[in-house]
Amino acid sequence: MSFFNQIPTMDRDSLRELKKGIDLSFKDFSRAYGDAIEGFFDPLLSFLIWLEKLLVSTPWPIVIGIFGLLAWIGSRSIQLVVGTITCFIVIGYFGMWENCMATVAIISVATLVCIVVGIPIGVLMAKSSRVERSILPILDMMQTIPSFVYLIPIIMLLGIGKVPGLIAVCIYALPPVVRLTNLGIREVDKETLEACEAFGATPLQKLISVQIPLSLPTIFAGVNQTIMMALAMVVIASMIGVKGLGVPILQAISNQYLALGLMNGLAIVALAIIFDRVTQKYGQRMQKHRGQKK
Amino acid sequence: MKIIKKLLISAIVVLGFTFFNVNANAACGKISIANMNWASANLMAEVDKVILEKGYGCTVELIPGATMPTFTSMNEKGEPDVAPEFWANAALEALTKATGEGRMHQVNLAPIKGLGEGWWIPPSTLEKYPELTTAAAVLARPDLFPHPEDSSKGGFHICPPGWACELINKQMFKGWGMEAKGWKIVETGSAAGLDGSMAKAVERGDNWFGYYWSPTSLIGKYQMVSLDMGKWGGDDNWHKCLVKPEQDCATPKQSSWIKSEVYTITTDNFKKTAGKDGMKYLKKRTYPGEVMNGMLVYMADNQAEGADAAIEFLKKHEDVWTKWVSGKVAKKIKASL
Repeated sequence: MSFFNQIPTMDRDSLRELKKGIDLSFKDFSRAYGDAIEGFFDPLLSFLIWLEKLLVSTPWPIVIGIFGLLAWIGSRSIQLVVGTITCFIVIGYFGMWENCMATVAIISVATLVCIVVGIPIGVLMAKSSRVERSILPILDMMQTIPSFVYLIPIIMLLGIGKVPGLIAVCIYALPPVVRLTNLGIREVDKETLEACEAFGATPLQKLISVQIPLSLPTIFAGVNQTIMMALAMVVIASMIGVKGLGVPILQAISNQYLALGLMNGLAIVALAIIFDRVTQKYGQRMQKHRGQKK
Repeated sequence: MKIIKKLLISAIVVLGFTFFNVNANAACGKISIANMNWASANLMAEVDKVILEKGYGCTVELIPGATMPTFTSMNEKGEPDVAPEFWANAALEALTKATGEGRMHQVNLAPIKGLGEGWWIPPSTLEKYPELTTAAAVLARPDLFPHPEDSSKGGFHICPPGWACELINKQMFKGWGMEAKGWKIVETGSAAGLDGSMAKAVERGDNWFGYYWSPTSLIGKYQMVSLDMGKWGGDDNWHKCLVKPEQDCATPKQSSWIKSEVYTITTDNFKKTAGKDGMKYLKKRTYPGEVMNGMLVYMADNQAEGADAAIEFLKKHEDVWTKWVSGKVAKKIKASL
């Protein structure tokens, strides 16, 4: 009967040994390869530092002007441009400029990394169902595993700072762009593909000049989601030493500073809304373009 | 009326009898001990429980706690009776008042030796550069501790955002003129970030310089070396400047870290229930720093609970705890293990 009342458990000592074994082998791994892996990410680190310095040291009217210009290029909407400029001026007025620039720097680089890594993976998944089957569970895991769990090995491997923070952000933010690239390419009209095959297009030509352009709006929805999820990770990234709007929020949490937390939280919201509206508008314009062609 | 009188008398007799009985059977009654939510306090509470129960015949109940809630409860309700490791700086005024009124007793003013906050470096660094025993010597060599994001500067690891020590370290950074000496602050982000940065550096044999405190399993595990921070910069400098945000005091001066006041405190009820013997035990109970750190390492490595660690401590460090109690009591405890 006791079998039914108590679930079989590994005995305490072997369980402890198992946990210790995992810890130790990871420590050995990090001792052996940590420096090499860190070296691999060095260019990324210097790029991040350069971008942040550039954003902070450039006179603010120029930075805001560039943001306004980007908003215009993306959305072609005067309202959005005015909204963007006002938001940044208010953020600066409340003394959050430097933190905000640090956040913008890491979010842009994270988005860039996610696009560079994510779109090829998405294309591969669309090309081969076997690859899709093996990658989907990994994406599920990346999106659901609590971030605190992977922060531990990341710190052991890379220490604290911008690069580990960037990796933590990317782990969480990468899946949407991969998923939607895969979806977008798979959704491209079969007849269109047949037509271009009939004209003798090689698979590469088919991909580059037909499948990717036709799925761009979907891919763009993925990029939009990736940006949103990257912004959601700002506070977590601050927990491993990334500067930005997350730091004052952590300060606010441990001291119950309501106003400080609220102001920086709203600044993140403002960034999110700007990024979201601009990229969405851009995506819509691409879709309109396709609609006209059809 | 007669019936009531009879009842009353019999009640008094019965009560008196029970009272007498309790007194006759045990020298000590029921007491409660605060079991604080960090490892060293957890271990101390469990050790106190074993010793007071097996050695002095008390009935001990452990009550979970944290610094301020436990103190408030002791001050207002007189419960729990003992806080084995109480960081008194948090409530110094109220505690002094309560002791003055006789409601509480500061039994042991140093239950753990060698504890405190400050700046630390790994032992491997000290081995390579034996001159780095003081904060001043380390600050002269920022090149040995490169900042992760700017290797031309030295990296100084400070507390996570929002901790009181974050502010103090930032003011210390100014007070010691560290910027001019070529240092830059490393923001650690969280307790895990601070721990992780130290663990990573020591595991790889790299240099590390930053704030930490003892007793902790990390200090014990890596045998971190605390730096001599020199002279105390005066009470005003500490209380009116170093602990204040930059906008409140822009001119901090360098100083050593404030002495951490860690006491074992009890309620008056404990003095009455556990008597002289109990008070004497708590007064003598001082853990040497390295023993405490060693036990914390044991707890972390084996993911051991305080109760298991207490047994381990009593078995392994007989030479330490037998000095706290009389030979007779020690025998009783040994027999129970």
